This record gives sequence, C-alpha cells and structure tokens, in this order.
Amino acid sequence: MAVHELAGHLPVSRPAVSQHLRVLKEAGLVADHKIGTRRVYRLSPEGIARLRAHFEHVWEQAMRGFETRLEAETPKKTGEKHGKHRR
Amino acid sequence: MANIVDEVVVRKSVRVGVPAARAFSVFVEQMETWWPPAHHIGAEPFQAIFVEPRTGGRWYERDARGAECQWGHVLAWDPPSRVTLSWHLGPDWKFDPDLAKASEIQIRFIPDGPSATLVELEHSALERHGEGYQQLRAMLDSPDAWHGTLSAFASKVDVEAQP
Repeated sequence: MAVHELAGHLPVSRPAVSQHLRVLKEAGLVADHKIGTRRVYRLSPEGIARLRAHFEHVWEQAMRGFETRLEAETPKKTGEKHGKHRR
Repeated sequence: MANIVDEVVVRKSVRVGVPAARAFSVFVEQMETWWPPAHHIGAEPFQAIFVEPRTGGRWYERDARGAECQWGHVLAWDPPSRVTLSWHLGPDWKFDPDLAKASEIQIRFIPDGPSATLVELEHSALERHGEGYQQLRAMLDSPDAWHGTLSAFASKVDVEAQP
C-alpha cells in the first residue's frame, strides 16, 4: 500500500504516515520498495518469522523438558526396557 | 483490513505415559521440575514456578531469595483437561502488564487410553509481542486510534531515526 492510500484512510497528514511507517520499518514489521516514484509498503514476513522462531525454540525446549520429566515416572512396559531415551 | 496481520501461532504436542490428571498436575503444579532453567526472567534463577489454580490467578516464578517475577495470568482453568494462560513476556523476557500486548497459551490434556495423555500446546497471537505491533494494529484496524499514538510515535521516530 502506498503512503497516500494509507493517509486517505487516516485523520492525519501524509508526512505523519511516513514517519509512522519509518518506525515500523525499523522495528522490522513492515518493508518497502519503490515502484517508479512511489514507495509501497507491505508487512514484513521476516519480523513476524523472527518472533515465531523465538517462541518455537522456547516451547520445543519446554515441552521436551515436560516429556522427559514424565518419562521418569512412566511405568516400564515389556519390551520397552531401553525406551527411556527414545529421542 | 482486520486480517492484514495474521495470527502467528506455535503448536507443540507430546504424548506422555501418565493419565491426564497427572500430566495436568505436573504441568501446572511442578513447572519448575521441567521448565528449561535458562528461561527465567528474574535476576536470579527460579526456585519455583507457580500457576495459581483459578481463572484470574497469577503465573509467576520465585527465586531462592523470595523475589517474584510474573509471567502471566490464568485465563481459563479447567482441570484436568485444559488450562489457558496469558504470556506477557516478549523476546526480551520483560513483563508487560498490558493484556492487549500479551499472547495466549492454551494447553489441552487429551486422554489416550487409561494411562497415557496427549498434551497439545498452542501459543497464539504471538505477533502482539512485536515492537510496533500496537501502532500497526491501530493504523490498519482503527483509524481513530491513530491520533492517540501519534505524538508518542513522533518522539520515538526522532530518537530511532538516528543510526
């Protein structure tokens, strides 16, 4: 979306919209590129991907910890004598 | 324009060899026995992690000296099948009390036979932790909200625009 299109939806000036977008760009949440003389903004998938990767890592570790914790008290079944460290 | 920012979700599931009630209990009552020790937000490592057993209860860690750091709240308490927590820690591991900036974790405990449980975790609305997310939402979803954030933004731009 171009700056003037955004400004058309908002009760503020185009320069204010540009400032706003600059902050979002620095935060990694939007990206921009030029088409002719226009600068077009889009949401940045990279910023969102970084956030998601962070939480993916946290829960991978946490859920593995939870699984290991409960494996310690799981009754052994026949044929699973060496199954404690399945991963 | 409400769906321009899609929900960002992380899902994990594990199967554990204990009944749902036991899995639920270990998950919420003994979190310090399995939570990765490196992931604490207090200055000191946690000694215990508490999930108060009621809707609206607090979720927090406590270190050996008794200092507490809050992680979130209990949004839904439905033992032994489900608990929903709010998560107020961004990637910087700092607590933000604003519920509008908190993501949501739902954990479901689904019996898999009499002695096993499927534990399904869904951490949703992660995009709320993104810096600038509130401003982005305000801009895209509610033009009226723009005014309120603008002056704060302008000053922030002045600071951050300098390399």
